[in-house]
Amino acid sequence: MWSSGLDNHSNNKTNNIDNGNSGHGGGSRIISSSSSSRSSPSSTSSILLRTPRRRTMEEVWKDINLTSLHHERRFAPLPEPHHHHHHHHHRAMILQDFLSGPCFTVSRANAAVEDIPLPPPPPLLPPTALSLSSGRELQYLGGGGGGGGGSALMNGHSRSSSNSNGSRVHGQANNNDNNARSGPFMSPSFSDAVIGPSSPAGFFSFCSKKRVMPEGPGIGGDRRYKRMIKNRESAARSRARKQAYTNELELEVAHLLEENAKLKKQLEELRLAMDAQLPNRIALKRSSSAPF
Amino acid sequence: MSRDPLVVGHVVGDVLDSFTKSASLRVLYNNKELTNGSELKPSAVVHEPRVEIGGRDMRTLYTLVMVDPDAPSPSNPTKREHLHWLVTDIPETTNSSFGNEIVGYESPRPTAGIHRFVFVLFRQEVRQTIYAPGWRQNFNTRDFAALYNLGPPVAAMYFNCQRENGCGGRRYQPVSGWT
Repeated sequence: MWSSGLDNHSNNKTNNIDNGNSGHGGGSRIISSSSSSRSSPSSTSSILLRTPRRRTMEEVWKDINLTSLHHERRFAPLPEPHHHHHHHHHRAMILQDFLSGPCFTVSRANAAVEDIPLPPPPPLLPPTALSLSSGRELQYLGGGGGGGGGSALMNGHSRSSSNSNGSRVHGQANNNDNNARSGPFMSPSFSDAVIGPSSPAGFFSFCSKKRVMPEGPGIGGDRRYKRMIKNRESAARSRARKQAYTNELELEVAHLLEENAKLKKQLEELRLAMDAQLPNRIALKRSSSAPF
Repeated sequence: MSRDPLVVGHVVGDVLDSFTKSASLRVLYNNKELTNGSELKPSAVVHEPRVEIGGRDMRTLYTLVMVDPDAPSPSNPTKREHLHWLVTDIPETTNSSFGNEIVGYESPRPTAGIHRFVFVLFRQEVRQTIYAPGWRQNFNTRDFAALYNLGPPVAAMYFNCQRENGCGGRRYQPVSGWT
């Protein structure tokens, strides 16, 4: 479900890029939508539903498309579609992989407002993580540092997920502002949190260690579903195996106890019978064997 | 809801129909009696076991079948059942070495997953000639019993077995060289 949704997003994004023109016209819209999108995750923070997340992401996607960033990116129109597609592909992979990952944050259109190129937001994460958006976006943005930034984000995120959202947002915003001025960047606050592979390729392989590159929308989910069913069957077999062995042991124990009781009883009876039947003691007897 | 290990382990269902045990079956690998549903290593079951049939009447004959219903893997048993051993005309009170080995004992060597290996005992009404099937895989115990009028099974036992060093899971890759 996620993968298909994500691919739709990436498709939409491409379309939007081709269609949308001005960043300014949507500027105010961006702000409002970003605030609305920001509020929605917090409202659903206690509920982990897929549908609300998708809506939020769609909003963010739209925001990104309308920002001046994309406007700036237009400078290289020819490679752009490919570039975007490439990025989309990257992002789709990240998104799908993040679905099973630790925590994610949805990038806020917040940062998008400030003429900063924003990559598509990372896959949707638990609502609590949503507040960390802008920093992450910046992290992702750093070109070659995208992979490392991504992993840094993941790590930083996992660390910060327990922090209060409010404070984190502020910290992030500050970092973002600082970083925004300095072009490609890797937030220094995150750099020490990098654990995963630093190269983008390594990062992607790290993310998709359990899965090959998705072949298309829906197929990855279908394969996962089949795998889940197989796993369930295997688990059921395992439980049956365990239960069957336990039952057998119980039966055997009952049987052995019964046999033991029976044998003990038999032993007692035999002893009694023996005692009752052997009154004569084997004692010395006199016998005459003399010839006279 | 039966608590019979044969039912819980789905031996009744996959291999046999429900039956009532009416014979005494003991399977001994390396002089150790097999506990129903236990797990053995392939190294422990390399050689044929001693299958003892208890009772009193030496005139009654039995047929023993050993199959693997989880071939090639329990999640994908396309070759169910794989015939490992077939011995007929075993007299009551004796053991398998007194019967006719129609299909020789094949050591269990499961590659993927945890397989069940089932011993099924049928009581023969007469001394009859049973022919070996053309191949070991896709054997069907039910059909076999119907074909030779063996009736319902009189006893059954099974054990589990997986690769010697474990890891017959989904990511199993056959490794050449060291095991």
